Amino acid sequence: MAMPHFQLHQPKSLEEALDLVAAHRSSVKIIAGGTDLLLKMRHAGLAPQHVVSLNRVSGLTHVSYTDEDGLVIGAAAKISTVAEHPDVRRLYPALAHACDVMATVQIRNMGTVVGNLANAAPSADTAAPLMAYGASVVLVERGGRRQVKLPEFFTGPGATVRESLEVIEAIRVPAPMQRTGSSYHRLSARSKVDIAAVGVASCLVTSMAGEILAARVALSSVAPTPVRAYDAEELLAGQTPDEMLLKRAAVACVRASSPIDDVRATANYRRRMVQVLAERSLLDCLAQLEGGKK
Amino acid sequence: MRSQNPKLIGQSIPRLDAAMKATGRAIYTDDLKFPGMLHGALVRSPIAHGRILNLDVTKAKKVPGVKDVITGYDTPKIKYGNWRLVPASQDELPLAVGRVRFVGDEVAAVCAIDKESAEKAAHAIVVDYEELPALFSVEDATAQGAVKIHEENQDGNVSLTRKIEYGDLAAMFAKADYVREDTFRVHPVQHAYLEPCSSIAVPEEGGRITLYTSTQTPYIVQCLLAHTLGLPENHVRVMKTQIGGGFGGKMELRPWEFCAAFMALRTGRPVKFTLTRTDELAFGRRRHPMTIYSKVGFSKDGKLLAKDFQVMLDGGAYNAMGPTATFLCGTFGNMLYNFPAYRYFGRHVYTNKPPASAMRGFGAPQAAFAQESQLNMAAEELGIDPIDLRLINAMQTGDVIPEVATVSSCGFKESLEKVRQMSGWDAKRKAAGNGRGIGVGCFSFISGGVFNWFNTKYNFSAAEVKVFDDGTAQLHSMACDIGQGTDTVLRQIMAAELGISIDKIRLVSMDTANTPKADLGSWGSRVTLMNGNAIIQACRKIKEQLTPILFTEFDLNQIHDVGFEDDRVFVKANPKKGMSFGEAVYKAVRGRQGAPLSATGFYTPRNKGLVSPAFSFGAQVAEVRVDQDTGLVSVDQMYTAHDCGVAINPMAVEGQLEGAIHMGLGYTLMENLIMDDKGRTLNTNFLDYKIATAQDMPPSDYAEIETFEPEGPYGAKEAGEGLAIPTAPAIADAVKQATGFRAMELPITPERILRGLGKLK
Repeated sequence: MAMPHFQLHQPKSLEEALDLVAAHRSSVKIIAGGTDLLLKMRHAGLAPQHVVSLNRVSGLTHVSYTDEDGLVIGAAAKISTVAEHPDVRRLYPALAHACDVMATVQIRNMGTVVGNLANAAPSADTAAPLMAYGASVVLVERGGRRQVKLPEFFTGPGATVRESLEVIEAIRVPAPMQRTGSSYHRLSARSKVDIAAVGVASCLVTSMAGEILAARVALSSVAPTPVRAYDAEELLAGQTPDEMLLKRAAVACVRASSPIDDVRATANYRRRMVQVLAERSLLDCLAQLEGGKK
Repeated sequence: MRSQNPKLIGQSIPRLDAAMKATGRAIYTDDLKFPGMLHGALVRSPIAHGRILNLDVTKAKKVPGVKDVITGYDTPKIKYGNWRLVPASQDELPLAVGRVRFVGDEVAAVCAIDKESAEKAAHAIVVDYEELPALFSVEDATAQGAVKIHEENQDGNVSLTRKIEYGDLAAMFAKADYVREDTFRVHPVQHAYLEPCSSIAVPEEGGRITLYTSTQTPYIVQCLLAHTLGLPENHVRVMKTQIGGGFGGKMELRPWEFCAAFMALRTGRPVKFTLTRTDELAFGRRRHPMTIYSKVGFSKDGKLLAKDFQVMLDGGAYNAMGPTATFLCGTFGNMLYNFPAYRYFGRHVYTNKPPASAMRGFGAPQAAFAQESQLNMAAEELGIDPIDLRLINAMQTGDVIPEVATVSSCGFKESLEKVRQMSGWDAKRKAAGNGRGIGVGCFSFISGGVFNWFNTKYNFSAAEVKVFDDGTAQLHSMACDIGQGTDTVLRQIMAAELGISIDKIRLVSMDTANTPKADLGSWGSRVTLMNGNAIIQACRKIKEQLTPILFTEFDLNQIHDVGFEDDRVFVKANPKKGMSFGEAVYKAVRGRQGAPLSATGFYTPRNKGLVSPAFSFGAQVAEVRVDQDTGLVSVDQMYTAHDCGVAINPMAVEGQLEGAIHMGLGYTLMENLIMDDKGRTLNTNFLDYKIATAQDMPPSDYAEIETFEPEGPYGAKEAGEGLAIPTAPAIADAVKQATGFRAMELPITPERILRGLGKLK
């Protein structure tokens, strides 16, 4: 199919971008990497009259980290930029891994992490690790700014709480506490260059005494949106982690999933894999925590 | 005999087209544009089976920019099919008349000044259908009272059967110490050539047509297109540009070729059709799904005594190349091993699905998955190592397959021994288990077919060689390089035979009006052997014209022989006595009073049985790791030993091997066309139709077991398709050794493994 005609706007500031979105509100889309949007325009009948690019907006391509503010991923930061960022690799290994293995080299070099969330596919690879790290999305509109935690951000396949005049400015991820272990596991029929059929990310924080202070486990591709496995998290909280406990938590993760049969996998297989991957992911966390003690 | 080969034979000459393709300068059909060219679009059936009640094209004709709209009722309604020898098998119309038989069956076509207008008009065509019950499996299609998909077909929905029978089956089974019966099932996969189909028909003076098309059989397209248009064959000229892969998927006349030509004649303007990847995956040709029953009997020391092989091929809505697959499946049920009693019963069954057709291996990958898996199962129960069991029964040079063929060269046993040694088989096989395994599969394949189903009156292949006084030469050949490298290998053969440099040869290929008749195309691994032989014959005729020049020039005694090497023609006993190749041509042309020097060579296999003039053989070993919690298989290493006769270009053979492992990996583990209960294909993009990527490719070791095939050019035989056969049974066997799960069905998905191991409901 041919690409529909549209007008491209390339604002230099966020204010300008917000004005353009408001001015063309009847038919406007926001573009950063375009790896999802252009496919929908070329093949799925999406035909906005205006497209506002964030790529020239100053400050939005940045990835920054400070111990005070944690990690900030700008709306136009490429997946590969995030993957290569030394602080991401050092402090957020689950996110770094997701950014390393998702999609293809070409898509990682064009697509953005914010776009991966904004597209709101149930299988979004960066969603589960970001959820496990307690990330929020920063939404701005003219005269306002709000921060939404990821579990509240997604409302269904392809749907989020973003209002039509809002632009996602950045993702904010808190700085990890001492004694944090985190990991992301995903699988698909083809081992490389593929969409995830199941993904599980987890993050455990322990006290000096070795008790779990905070546990977050997030699942992708097994529900209409990426989801947290709250039952498993409750089971873990306050406990001293060992293999048995983590295995029980992995079983509890399955209850948070509501997968469907599709061409990529059956629901039964997905449920089974939630348990397998959750176990592996949690055991990774434990190994990191134990390794950190030495 | 190999030592007598010219020195260019056996050299890894890089592909002459590689730089052009790698730098994006190669021109494919869709790259071509002509003045005034129109763009076509097809209307396809949305239902799997039904009657066409009414077709309304009035709205479509009113769409601005539309120049023509056609339905089946506007056409000559002449049926076609590749099996011209059996007219009743020709069951396809370019556009449906009265009935549609699969989701995607073409019912109408339009052309317009641009693609968008053509698509808009196609959407504006209204077709009313009366739905008929649709059949999606061979079991349903052959059940009592099943609706007939082709009313004129004699035998229900069975369109064709093939029987092979020799030896006393009952007596041999009675004599056997060990008998087993198994049923295997294989699935549909697609060629996934990188270049989707594209065709442009250009109207020429006198009501003639030039068709540029992405095909592997220009001569077949020429004949069948002329036939369906009601034109003399010679009114159609088929030309190709570069072809981005075929693998068997581009070897028939296709509806859009007809529609482009028919509308070009009606409008007087060139018409182009280019398919999308979605079209290809949703409606395109595919490899036959099959249900394969096999019963084998062995003596207790492992001698194969009898085999009963019964196959139902799920052919889809039309015959396409299914009849050939039905024949070859029977041939490859008994090709590797020599045993006294064999019965094959193959049935090609119509269903309401996109037609299955030829695909790399042509029935053999399916037959081999069953045969080789069953042999591995028997080996386990007989307590004999599977490689030993094969050595006991292996075909050898000189063996005869009754009523089929005599094997004139065979390096099968050597391949088995070699692959055992290369892979460290004996130790690794003992250590298998706990998620690690090693398995074996073998293959044999034809070097071109003998059976003349296209019923051509010409030779099977032909070559015209012209030589010039500047030392250059020209090869005219209808052979198709579809990516497999024959444009290089055929010139390598010609350069070797004439003793000139390969870069001196201009190739004029794939223009049916400018190359000698005929050429059956690129399929059945026939090109190197058949076209190679034709080229050698033409070159020898040229050399006969040049040799007398030397005798005259140097006043030679008739006992001398003349050599052709390094762009020189010389006296063998005294190489200083000679001249450049160009000078020899100059003198010959002078002597012919200016008549240019050219010669034509032909090849048709004669007295070579019914199947093929020569057979390749080989063995492959796969090493795998299986994650027993997720069921994911990773193939860590492949080993292949391969008898393709003399490898004319070893680098090209290696390319075939790598490509075959890649295709075999997809076939075994992940590729599968998934259909819903309405006959619609669900995975119509490369995200959901999963092909192995370069990152999935295992390292691969291989060894050439060189034999000398007397019927082949310089001893060569096929290296194209055979290699695509052994990978599935080898991986299946390795998975069994790793996990205990024996796959009776393909693909071997993680879910099947876990279910087989009782870890998943």
